[in-house]
Amino acid sequence: MNDKRARALLPIVLAIAGGILLFNLIAFAFGQAPASALRLAFEGTWGTPYGLGQVLFKATPLLFTGLAFEVALRAGLFNIGAEGQLGLASLVGALVASNLPASLPMPIALPIVLVTAAAVGALVAFIPAILRARRGVHEIITAIMVNRIVDAILPWTFSTVLGSSSLRTADIAPGAALPRLDRVIPSFAGSAASFAFPLAVATVFAAMALLGRSRPGREIRWVGLRPEACRAEGIDVERRMLLAMLLSGAIAALAVSSTALGYKGYYELGLGAGAGWSGIAVAMLGRGKAIGIVLAAIFLGTLEQAGLAVNARVPREAMNVLEATLIVLVAVASRVASQGARAAASADPEPEPPRDKPAPTPASEEARS
Amino acid sequence: MKKVIAADPGLRAARYPRGAMRGPVMKIEDIAVRYGDCWSIRSATITLEPGVIHAILGENGAGKSTLLKAAAGFAPRVAGTVKIEDGAAAIGMVHQHFMLVSAFSALENLVLGNEPTGSFGRLDLTKARREAEALMEKTGLRVNLDARTSDLAVGERQRLEILRVLYRGARAILLDEPTAVLSPLEAEELYTTLGALAEGGATIAVVTHRMDEVIRFAGHVTIMRRGRTVLSRPIAADERNHPKRLEDELTRAIMGGEPPHEASPPALAEDAEVALSIEDLVLVDAAGKRVLDGLRFAVKKGEIVGIAGIEGNGQRELVRAVAGLEPGVAGAIVLGGARLPAVRSTGDLRKRRRAVAVVHEDRHADGLMLDASVGDNLVLGELDQIDGPAAEAALIKHRIDRFGVNPPDPARRAGDLSGGNQQKVVVARALDRIEASPERALVVLGQPTRGVDVGAAATIHGAVVAAAEKGLAVLLVSADLGELKRLSHRILVIHRGRIVAELPPTAADDVIGRAMLGMEDA
Amino acid sequence: MSSIFSLTMLAESVRIAVPYACAAIGGVWAERAGVIQIGLEGILLTGAFTAVAVTHATHSPTLGLVAAIVAGVALSLGHGQLTERARVHAVISGIALNLLALAATRMGLRALYDSASNSPGIDAFRFGPTGATGGAMLLRVLADPVFFCALAAVAATPFVLRNTRFGLRVRAAGENPVAAASVGISVTRVRLAALAVSGAICALGGAHLAYDQQRFESGMSAGRGFIALAAVVVSGWRAGRAALACLAFGVLEALQIVLQDEVRKTAIGDLIQTLPYVATLLVLALAPRRAGAPEGLGKHAAE
Repeated sequence: MNDKRARALLPIVLAIAGGILLFNLIAFAFGQAPASALRLAFEGTWGTPYGLGQVLFKATPLLFTGLAFEVALRAGLFNIGAEGQLGLASLVGALVASNLPASLPMPIALPIVLVTAAAVGALVAFIPAILRARRGVHEIITAIMVNRIVDAILPWTFSTVLGSSSLRTADIAPGAALPRLDRVIPSFAGSAASFAFPLAVATVFAAMALLGRSRPGREIRWVGLRPEACRAEGIDVERRMLLAMLLSGAIAALAVSSTALGYKGYYELGLGAGAGWSGIAVAMLGRGKAIGIVLAAIFLGTLEQAGLAVNARVPREAMNVLEATLIVLVAVASRVASQGARAAASADPEPEPPRDKPAPTPASEEARS
Repeated sequence: MKKVIAADPGLRAARYPRGAMRGPVMKIEDIAVRYGDCWSIRSATITLEPGVIHAILGENGAGKSTLLKAAAGFAPRVAGTVKIEDGAAAIGMVHQHFMLVSAFSALENLVLGNEPTGSFGRLDLTKARREAEALMEKTGLRVNLDARTSDLAVGERQRLEILRVLYRGARAILLDEPTAVLSPLEAEELYTTLGALAEGGATIAVVTHRMDEVIRFAGHVTIMRRGRTVLSRPIAADERNHPKRLEDELTRAIMGGEPPHEASPPALAEDAEVALSIEDLVLVDAAGKRVLDGLRFAVKKGEIVGIAGIEGNGQRELVRAVAGLEPGVAGAIVLGGARLPAVRSTGDLRKRRRAVAVVHEDRHADGLMLDASVGDNLVLGELDQIDGPAAEAALIKHRIDRFGVNPPDPARRAGDLSGGNQQKVVVARALDRIEASPERALVVLGQPTRGVDVGAAATIHGAVVAAAEKGLAVLLVSADLGELKRLSHRILVIHRGRIVAELPPTAADDVIGRAMLGMEDA
Repeated sequence: MSSIFSLTMLAESVRIAVPYACAAIGGVWAERAGVIQIGLEGILLTGAFTAVAVTHATHSPTLGLVAAIVAGVALSLGHGQLTERARVHAVISGIALNLLALAATRMGLRALYDSASNSPGIDAFRFGPTGATGGAMLLRVLADPVFFCALAAVAATPFVLRNTRFGLRVRAAGENPVAAASVGISVTRVRLAALAVSGAICALGGAHLAYDQQRFESGMSAGRGFIALAAVVVSGWRAGRAALACLAFGVLEALQIVLQDEVRKTAIGDLIQTLPYVATLLVLALAPRRAGAPEGLGKHAAE
């Protein structure tokens, strides 16, 4: 068992080590003494309570988008449309929140806004989902198209529909806002970490538990593993795929809680952009475990915050380079680890000729390993 | 990557002025082969010489195919030596699953890997065609070179494979179960061709599980049992005059000391009522071919009906149609007197699953989630009928115990089980579920013991018989005539989507074989 | 309305279609060899950036073009190493490739030109007559060496795939890698070679995009790689038809540009920009299901 856990952790350790090495290389290329850039990055993140708060703030949307990618991946689907799902949901959510009466208490206002946002996210995800389930069109192409369309809808809504030139919504009702964490942890003062963080962590654990134990959750995973076998046994494959994709869109949309609701108090164009992409890295690093997703989100949140801390010396885009590289590193490392694990599995004495054609590994498992 | 000798006939003629085809002697000494956790060959020793047909015989799972692959250099050998006169280049292998690109023309497949080219790497298909036609003339193996490979009949595809091997200049040809997909007549033609090639000096080895082929055509026989070669000797011409004696000797070697797994069908009441009745089933595939063409037959309660036929004559579609997975099927499937409604939704499919259990012939594609646990696989599609985690765990344990799934660990990844244990999981799910269902009526099994070791096959056969004893009608589709004859009350022969003969299980193999060809007098 | 049926319109359509077509042909090469390639977008972007950076440094658009091709080949081969040798899932590798290209070009902009959005202008190829008439525009588009390379790639691809040994092996690797390997073909090597071709042609499209704008802009590929992929799917993985589909997209986008000023005043406004994306969705939704996909797409010769 211990050995198994070590194998699961090894890819992450290797990937992070590789990531730090790469960061040093980039820093060096920009004429920085590597250690000094690293120290700067550390001081800006885990070095102070404020930095830590910022890390949690940056990690919060990634918790949602990482979970969203994971949910779809369970069904063998790649939801790379989180950007669009979150974008439109943020806009609509903030619009609803800004139109709620100021006297509405939080227990009513907040759920209204979150449910609206989730519904919009699911709706945006519905387009690639239905095209995949009914027409067999690959969800990646369609999700990108939808992202692009949302990209155009957002400014159009501000300029043409709302007739505003500021590209932002009005302030949201106080009942819809999530308080900052510095209310309970005063040393976080000044950082933008809000109660969206505990909300996100709770969502991750609750969703992962449901996915693992509930009937729909398990069937989603089975459909991702081998749709033909599920279809033959009477599981509605299309419906499970749709469900996974809609859930994914809804979860991605919840990231609005940390941006418009927990931070700005309104939505402006570009707020939360990029979280959808980073969510992919979070899911890949998270290895299909709730705790993995939480740690991965915090790690990538650290990267983002560190990017800001070193920006004066090393462009913060370096952190995005790092993120993309990490996806590859962890994928390669875990592939190697899983092959090792399979070779090390205990032997079965019954000889069998390899007569059956090797069955292709389904997308959802292969993507992870 | 292996370098392939140029297929220029002139060159070959120059190198081998007389007896142009003399094949290499292949000495395989005490090899062992392992796939992952499974020992496929523990110890095998065999010498293949040119001039005769070598037959390699054995039970399912005895390691015969692997032996061929090891000889051709495709199998991961962990011990032993393979010595081949003048290098590996002269060996060609015809795999059981044809290695052809179905979107290519026959000619393109023929030249693939050994293409004649003009300037700038341009394909010289004219030259290829000339050579191919000369080769077809010489060997008598005829293939329509311009047809799309997916349109070729199975026999034609096999001829194409053999032609390709010859085209590449191979002088040793290893064939893995070549007759499994052929009619008896085609099989005879194949052996005639192979015999002629062997006489011409080629080295020929054939893996088969058909005793009659060995006795009639082979000049040398090797028996494998449980990963070991237990017998390897030439067959003298006069031995063929006493086929019974030879057959007894070979059978003993194949079975070893083990008792033959004798399952027999339960007694069938004279007045048993009809459980399943298939009426004028028609299914047209995407290409417009009638893969099921007016199929009709009936199965009584407690009766096991075997379906025999050459592969690709509608067996797979029959199983899928009864399973409710072919929405385009016309005609009636009547179960217990009531016509089954068409399956329009998965709800309908679940309803049918309560009356009809199905084991699909390709367990990796349609039956099993290799990356899920054994436990998940055992309750696939059943979660709505199970009451909570405790009940689920109990059910899984019951199924593992009843079918002897080994190792008995519900958390184990199904893909890590041996093929036999994987099949036990699939059969356990189908049979155990249906037996508990109040609406139970029918079990349909497609190739339930293909690629499965002897022990697992015995377990599965026992479970099939037990299901029939409980009053279920059983439809057993199998390419294994022995299995059909042991288990069935009646054998129906399917040919081009129709039932062309109904035979008793005591019918001789060649009678069944002629019927499989669709011959009138059967 | 006459502006719709004019030489200007034709010139615009062809000009716009070139990057799409290059990416689509790149996609055909990768996927006919059996490698899922959703990283075309990233290769376009990298090609564009490299072309501009090298042209800016050397004042030679030819060198820029060569550098772009080298970069495209390198990225494409990297994808191949990951999917074919390390056996990383091709979709994950493709996503990472796209993200990497986007981030790395941004970082490059900051590093080289200290800008977050675009590079300084460059002098790209300039052949053909000057002037604003439709005829002159068309001649300029056609006389562009990058266009010529792209045209050659479009024309040569079906021929090479059908009539050469390399093409036959590429198709075999894509249709049935197990069968290809069984006759002694190294599927990995064939696929890497096809990916090199794919990356080169796709990067050509990136260079065209950048030379057309005479500068690099962050994220300037704007989903073209994915639209090209849609063209590949809709065309049934056939090069000629995919290029035609891209030309149709060029027409559509040119139409959008012509209509833009008038539409801007209406309620639709900026939404007209979504026309290519909406059209892609519609085409994908209405086209027949996955006809013509290589059977071995994403499969390997051996575990």
